[in-house]
Amino acid sequence: MSKSSRRLLGLLTFGALAATWLYAASRLWRTSVPADLKLPKVDVSALVGLSELHRAQHFSFVLDLFGLAGLLLPLIVLALYAKWGHRFIGESAAGPIGTGMMLAMLGIAILWIAMLPSNLGQLWWLRRYGIVKTGYAEMVIGTWFALGSEFLGICLIILIVMGFARLLGNRWWLAGAPVFVVIGLLVTFVQPYMSGLQPLRDHAALVQAEHRIAKREGVTAVPLKVENVGGLTTAPNAEAMGLGPSRRIGLWSTILDGRFSEPQLEVVVAHELAHHKHNDLWKGIGWYALFVFPIAYLIARVTRRRGGMAVPLAVPLFLFAWVGLTTVTLPIDNAFSRRLEAEADWTALQATNNPQAAKALFVSFVRTTNENPNPPFWDPILFGSHPTEAQRIGMVEAWQAQHGG
Amino acid sequence: MNEHPITLHVMDDLRRSRLTVFFRPLLSVPHFLWLALWGVVVGIVVFLNWFVTLFVGRPAKPFQSFIAAYLRYAITVGAYFLYIANPFPGFTGEPGSYPVELELPIEPEKQSRWKTFFRIVLVYPALIIAELSIYPVLLLFFPLIGFAWWATMITGRIPRGFRDLGANALRYLGQVYAYYYLITDTYPCSSPYVGMALGSPVVTAPAAMETPAAAEEPTAPEAPEAPPKA
Repeated sequence: MSKSSRRLLGLLTFGALAATWLYAASRLWRTSVPADLKLPKVDVSALVGLSELHRAQHFSFVLDLFGLAGLLLPLIVLALYAKWGHRFIGESAAGPIGTGMMLAMLGIAILWIAMLPSNLGQLWWLRRYGIVKTGYAEMVIGTWFALGSEFLGICLIILIVMGFARLLGNRWWLAGAPVFVVIGLLVTFVQPYMSGLQPLRDHAALVQAEHRIAKREGVTAVPLKVENVGGLTTAPNAEAMGLGPSRRIGLWSTILDGRFSEPQLEVVVAHELAHHKHNDLWKGIGWYALFVFPIAYLIARVTRRRGGMAVPLAVPLFLFAWVGLTTVTLPIDNAFSRRLEAEADWTALQATNNPQAAKALFVSFVRTTNENPNPPFWDPILFGSHPTEAQRIGMVEAWQAQHGG
Repeated sequence: MNEHPITLHVMDDLRRSRLTVFFRPLLSVPHFLWLALWGVVVGIVVFLNWFVTLFVGRPAKPFQSFIAAYLRYAITVGAYFLYIANPFPGFTGEPGSYPVELELPIEPEKQSRWKTFFRIVLVYPALIIAELSIYPVLLLFFPLIGFAWWATMITGRIPRGFRDLGANALRYLGQVYAYYYLITDTYPCSSPYVGMALGSPVVTAPAAMETPAAAEEPTAPEAPEAPPKA
């Protein structure tokens, strides 16, 4: 085969793959929220009060600064580590993969040290507003111990990447990316069993309401569970978790502490049930799969300059490339997440038919989480996995307008 | 006097990386996981080897090699965890790859059938002493509260006395488990002068790294130490 034919074949393959990728992405991007839905401008100050709004804005502004530090510091630290990290190779008596594991763990350890002042500052800020109850020493010791599981995770990743790289050379990503998707699937499946979920007691009415909503929506009811977080935070939250038989709805104990009315809790449950109804956890894995292939490919390309992933010398650069690429894709990941959350809000409105409760819930979220309901434009791009509270309240009003409420 | 078939070789220059000492318990986590997984198979192999030794009079060579690799690895992990040695160990228990290493007989020895039959009972006194002796060492080396930890973190070197104390605890533990796992039928010796070789490597040539990086920056050979004064 001539050089030009090979190039043409390569281009055709790339074109076919790109078209498949775009088609899959567009399928995942679709939601049941009406495309022509216009969200009205909401005067949040009229709903939460001006002083509450200013408090939330002040709180969120400083929190965003810590958030920016949390995005930029790892990039700076890992860029330096990519340049100088190979000096630690002398600290290893292990073979190439063992040395790669050690370099990866040391990279994360150095990152932990570098992030400590910023993390302590963030904790101080969250404690000041009563959002988090964790003590400073507790946080330092707790995150130090948590590094143990992070080390295990990174060692598994290095084992897969370097193992395949030693077998397949720079094409390791072709085998590595599917393995990462399978691991993502397994983690999502087992998460409910690892989260310390407790049975939901004293909320029989909520369980009945969930069964009612599930029947109306034509889905199977999912077990409601409680995550006991009362000793750590005051922030309310709930999450849909698991796949197939492991599906659960985890309600944080803070959302059941009496600050939210029964109709508001029904909206929360309907929202989480909507995630299961729309197979959002599967979609999340699909979305991850769409990105893990190109990211793994780009990492393989980048690390070639250090001899490829078969040698430990490339590991510091691998860490930097990995964190860098996931930071670059963060805005699109957040946008995808916001679409799924918006769809769950919409479905919850349809299911509960109670816009007043939904509106009251979102207003309460501003008060209990101190999140700015109208953040600057870059905030949701970088940090927004959910629509802003103003957008959520706007959706309620748009739904009311459509349904003559 | 150094007459025991199980000898701990210590070939270490006392220099320690403060960064890795600070994170040493966490950096050892993958090793402990691997040790636990490998240990499950070793348990089965030891059980089978017991029958072989009982009937044939000596352990099966493949079993012996497998168990010896595990024991060698376990001792290097212990040495790394307690910063009795500095470098991150490999995962295979390959001989000659670590500055603190247990030397075990390669060829299976002829063993007494009586001692083999009653091994699980005979090992108990030594096992209890080994377990009891490791706890004070663990306390001494424990992050934030141990003298050895502070001394190492401040000076960047482990004091020789602490290093030798930890090495001796590991040596005895190695001898106990080698006896328990039928590598030898020589009973463990609690004397610190038996089965301890300071400053002498098991294999003279260090295991070569397969990486270009290693070619650029070879690991500095550990300086041998003066043998202990009699």
